Amino acid sequence: MSRKGRRITRREFLQDAVLATGGIALAGLTPALATAAEKTDPKIGAQLIGKLEGPTLILDPARFPKKFSEAPMLAELVKAGKLPPVEKRIPEEPLVVKPVHSIGKYGGTWRRGFTGPGDGENGNRIVSTDKILFWDYTGTKVMPCLARDWKVSDDGRVIAILLRKGHQWSDGTPFTADDFIFWYEDIYLNKDLQPTPNPDFMVNGKPGALRKRDDYTVVFEFPDPNYLFVDILAGSTAMGGGQATQQHFGRTMGAYMPAHYVKQYLPKYSSRDELDRKAKAAGFDGWVSYIKSRWDWRLNPDLPTLGPWKTVSPINTPTWGLERNPYYYGIDSEGNQLPYIDKISMALAENLEVLNLRAIAGQYDLQERHTALAKLPVFLENRSKGNYDVRLDPALNGSDATLQCNQAYDADPEVAKWLLSRDFRRALSLGIDREQINETFWLGVGTPGSVAPAESIPYSPGPEWRKKWSSHNPKQANELLDNAGLIKKDAEGYRLRTDGKGRLRIEMLTAAGSFIPHTQIGEMIKEQWKKIGIQGDVKEVERSLYFTRIKANEHQIAIWLNDGSEVIYLFPRHALPVDPVEALLGHPIANWYASGGTQGKEPKDPQLKKALELFRSAAGKKPQERYKIAQEIWKIMVDEQYSIGTVGQSPAAMGVRIVSKKLGNIPSRQVNAQHARTPCSSHPATFFFKS
Amino acid sequence: MLAYLVRRLILAILTTWAVSVLSFVVIQLPPGDYITSYIAQMSSSGSFVSEQEANALRQQYGLDQPQYIQYIRWMKMVLQGNFGMALEYGRPVAEVIGDRIYLTMVVSVAAIIFTWCAALPIGVYSAVRQYSWGDYVATFIGFIGLAVPSFMLALILMYFGFTLFNANIGGLFSDEFAEAPWTLAKLWDLTKHLPLPALILGLAGTAQLIRIMRANLLDELGKPYVVTARARGLSEGRLIIKYPVRVALNPFASTIGYLLPYVVSGSIIVSLVLSLPTVGPLLLKSLVAQDMFLAGTIVLLLGVMTVIGTFISDLLLMWIDPRIRFEGRQ
Amino acid sequence: MTEPTVRPGAVVDEEVALLPSVAEERISVATQWQLMWWRFKKHRLAMLSTVIVFLFYLVVVFADFLAYSDPLASEAQRSLLPPHRIHWFDEGRFAPHVYGLTGKRDPATFKRVYTPDPEKKIPVRFFARGFEYRVFGLIPMDRHLIGVEGATAEETLFLLGTDEQGRDLWSRLMYGTQTSLIIGLVGVSLSLILGVFLGGISGLYGGVLDTIIQRVIEILRSIPTIPLWMGLAAALPNDWTVIQIYFAITIIISLIGWTELARVVRGRFLSLRQEDFVMAAELCGCGQMRIIFTHLVPSFLSHIIAATTLAIPAMIISETSLSFLGLGLRPPAISWGVLLQQAQNIQALAISPWLLIPSIPVTIVILAFNFMGDGLRDAADPYGQ
Repeated sequence: MSRKGRRITRREFLQDAVLATGGIALAGLTPALATAAEKTDPKIGAQLIGKLEGPTLILDPARFPKKFSEAPMLAELVKAGKLPPVEKRIPEEPLVVKPVHSIGKYGGTWRRGFTGPGDGENGNRIVSTDKILFWDYTGTKVMPCLARDWKVSDDGRVIAILLRKGHQWSDGTPFTADDFIFWYEDIYLNKDLQPTPNPDFMVNGKPGALRKRDDYTVVFEFPDPNYLFVDILAGSTAMGGGQATQQHFGRTMGAYMPAHYVKQYLPKYSSRDELDRKAKAAGFDGWVSYIKSRWDWRLNPDLPTLGPWKTVSPINTPTWGLERNPYYYGIDSEGNQLPYIDKISMALAENLEVLNLRAIAGQYDLQERHTALAKLPVFLENRSKGNYDVRLDPALNGSDATLQCNQAYDADPEVAKWLLSRDFRRALSLGIDREQINETFWLGVGTPGSVAPAESIPYSPGPEWRKKWSSHNPKQANELLDNAGLIKKDAEGYRLRTDGKGRLRIEMLTAAGSFIPHTQIGEMIKEQWKKIGIQGDVKEVERSLYFTRIKANEHQIAIWLNDGSEVIYLFPRHALPVDPVEALLGHPIANWYASGGTQGKEPKDPQLKKALELFRSAAGKKPQERYKIAQEIWKIMVDEQYSIGTVGQSPAAMGVRIVSKKLGNIPSRQVNAQHARTPCSSHPATFFFKS
Repeated sequence: MLAYLVRRLILAILTTWAVSVLSFVVIQLPPGDYITSYIAQMSSSGSFVSEQEANALRQQYGLDQPQYIQYIRWMKMVLQGNFGMALEYGRPVAEVIGDRIYLTMVVSVAAIIFTWCAALPIGVYSAVRQYSWGDYVATFIGFIGLAVPSFMLALILMYFGFTLFNANIGGLFSDEFAEAPWTLAKLWDLTKHLPLPALILGLAGTAQLIRIMRANLLDELGKPYVVTARARGLSEGRLIIKYPVRVALNPFASTIGYLLPYVVSGSIIVSLVLSLPTVGPLLLKSLVAQDMFLAGTIVLLLGVMTVIGTFISDLLLMWIDPRIRFEGRQ
Repeated sequence: MTEPTVRPGAVVDEEVALLPSVAEERISVATQWQLMWWRFKKHRLAMLSTVIVFLFYLVVVFADFLAYSDPLASEAQRSLLPPHRIHWFDEGRFAPHVYGLTGKRDPATFKRVYTPDPEKKIPVRFFARGFEYRVFGLIPMDRHLIGVEGATAEETLFLLGTDEQGRDLWSRLMYGTQTSLIIGLVGVSLSLILGVFLGGISGLYGGVLDTIIQRVIEILRSIPTIPLWMGLAAALPNDWTVIQIYFAITIIISLIGWTELARVVRGRFLSLRQEDFVMAAELCGCGQMRIIFTHLVPSFLSHIIAATTLAIPAMIISETSLSFLGLGLRPPAISWGVLLQQAQNIQALAISPWLLIPSIPVTIVILAFNFMGDGLRDAADPYGQ
């Protein structure tokens, strides 16, 4: 249901601008991005935030290298006759990457930490160049990836993907259009494996189709224009997410699959009894669970893949080990086959303190995941001892701790009434001293403000909207509350409910153990609200209970990050209630939106409805217009304060990078965003050990 | 005698069954299911799951069925020796636990040995020199492990082990040995990692042991045969070690049965803090993830170990002290 | 299995040997409690521990008075402030004061640095006015043991420093002590009621009832406590207030305590019910309850007291462990567990070690309860030998 909603919106955003050939400038984001952090005064942490940089792709075949070389460990295999020579292993038109600093050296093992089988993203994000399309290092421009090129028909109904001739799976089998068709016909359309169509592969609620044009061309066809599909293929979405990300843990998406390998586990190409028997022998309850574990790159070292490294020691062991893919389709600008680094070894840490302590000890060569901003002083103190550098990569989203006021709350009519009151929400926002929160929990490194994304991206409504209703002004807040009718106070100065049932208490729901200390932030806000006479109650619950309660529409205010909302059309769920999986502004509203009004509850607030309509209406608009619509939406969101932003554009989530001094080609700053699959947009295949 | 044994055995089996029901219920108590917690986890790790995917997964794992059906399914599997699939691991539960159970045993046994080595001398000393300053000091040291919260002690020792002595940070193996086959070098590596967990886990148990040892020994020391022996001029050391200590040790035999499950359960938190590859962190994580098969199997395993341990203890006790048999029958 | 019976006979022997006639006479006329007291006094560590436990419970009663600032008042400008040093004399006069501080974040190390300003002396007063509270929940009061009057955020006293949110650790510790020690006490009371009642029934009636209760105990003891806690704690209704959760947690904790007590009680009952005085009471037509509570319980009350005392520290440790697991009391509440959980990270160890201070009272109180319990147990068997 939900997908339906999202799909509609996406398709609406298509633009004709998405042109036939190379990368499409999604935005004018590029230039401003790098300087965003430095411009704001000599701010604390500035010395750790470098210039945004990264490797670039060489797209002109005339400039492609003609001679190739390979890693010594592969050269030996070639010599021993166990592997074809390198020029036979890479496509005719490979992915040519110009490293950010220099041509690297082969060899070495990249040590990292991971937290167990639930931490698949740790590796997924490193091998994400198995996506059909991707972004450049700024995260703003669509770039070729598996596809050497793509073409969108004039009417936007047909998107052609051009594959690379001679491209091979990690076992040397050719990667062709058949792998797409196999996925589409035998997996995606197989009701046992994919019971309902995926919204990413639909437009206006109508399913798309996948067709083979020739061995190296596949076309995605839609009944209605779907220009946005190019963005979907480049984004971290079900269709564009790539094999590693979309085909693990029971997932069946990703648009292609190694047909020659997966076929043997499908009843269609084998016998069902036989497969069930095999599955039982392996401990699975049937062929469905079995095949899903077979196509999971983290679990099955035999699975052919396309990324720079492949699993040799599965994620469910104490060391998740990866090794270079001898058939990787990327080379550097001098013809050296990538990746430079031979192996990746991720050591299991059962808890984050151990992981961080190992990072401090210099036991990781590059770690940006699970490293905590609160530990920054300790990281810095041990820099020379551990022989590493610390880099901060601020994200682009507006607020890492957003107070989402449930607009569909109904359990307590009095509280519901106030949550629906604009003046009340504005007062709550004005009652928050963001500088204090920034200083305490972000060590002063974050940027206080509203939920609006960083000014450097085209969706931003402008700097004034970062500040609007988002500064500390208890006086104005008190006036707003007084005028709204919350005049009576009790002996301790807290405002009373208007229905005579005592003190007005607003509950802030937080999830235990979340990466940002939302509970502690809530506690601080609760103290700050004393000045405006509002009693806030912080309620911390276990993480899955948190989502259960939100889904049950039981929360008044929920605190969560709004990460990903900077690319609002690709990942709207943290900005707007459009996705029933996670609808912090009200699950019934998201149901209403996603079902096209047949289920759920229509938002009572006309402005919120307008924002949702704008989101839907962006259909078929040109990019500039689409940005305008996004800006309109953000203006409404900030003006209305449905979501109260606190501190954002910070490195708190996956932005504290511990980098060994031995590593080369490490950008001094990389884009930190979900759609850019950080750190994949920096092409980890080009990282290398200097000595 | 035989009738008593059979009765105990039947009771033990009934208890085991009750433990299985209770562990199932307890694990299912929190709202939501594995998929809910999976979505939550994905959401906070920069990935996401769609509604369709979630429903498909629920169906695949049978989580959409009523709880009693899930229980019957689980029991059927368990009785066939199949403990199901650890959902997050994508591997059979038996394999996932199997990897870790040996290391759990190693850590637990090391801790038990430490406990005995520390507690017995202290217990003997504080009984023989009751109410002396030495008694107080020794007891104080022995009780420290009981008093300092183990998670704090573990983190503090790990941190200062690293900063002051450059010791290994958590785990039981260095990276290069984690996946290696067993060799002498790997064994040595394990030996180097063992002292810290053994110390922390062992310290937690010393207090109880000191207490029992001291009490039993005091009991024995008052008996006429000791007085007689002393009157006959036996040296004090010889006198104490030769008989009273031996007799005082007797009741320990009976505790051996359930010592192991007790230590394993006690090690869960410390294992998590020290990142030990034992069943402890596995249990905690599977409980948080609501991975029914994995968590259920571990709880069941510990439960069965306790039931068997108690059974063995009862037998030993009966064998040592026939009076118990009569009490047991009452 | 084997509840060790302690018969510190040696002590009595000594006493008898030293003062044969007087002591004998004293012993023969002394009440049971007097005997216990005499014996208990021998255990000097237990005596000391009793005093310590008493002092801790004074903190429980007077937490508001001992705390000098609002334990929840946060202020970023005094985040992670190290413990304040009190200067007792000013130019030879007794005039306790602390220096004013200016704090900022060092842009290179990212640590907050506080520089004391010896010129700016802030007087510390005894019985100073501070935030308002109610003594025993009744009498409004604003006096505190010590304090700084009329001070601004940065100019207050921080005996034990502050936490990340700039909240005064000393004051938080006082309230944490109150919470955790009450949990220990309430939890043990519940355990005691359950334990005495079920253990008593089990020991007195025997038979099927005994078997059932013993099985229940065995089952409960066979399930590792952590899943039990997790299941129960996560199943608490989500609209409960902090207070309700507080009591629910106490009950959960007491669930593990009662089985041990029940075993002790049962064992006692088994041995006592054969005694002549029970038979006599039964023949006189006393009801079962009357037999239990007026005849049996008093005869082993001392043992129960000892066992109870030894159960309290387990409750306290359980509370901290639950918080560590994120299952116990949660942050807006203050307890030892919450305070320790806050310090359970590397940055606390490396940058702000004073956050670990709460582990000291926890350790002391647990040791004290243990020694006190041991002393009581040693003393509990006055007729031993």
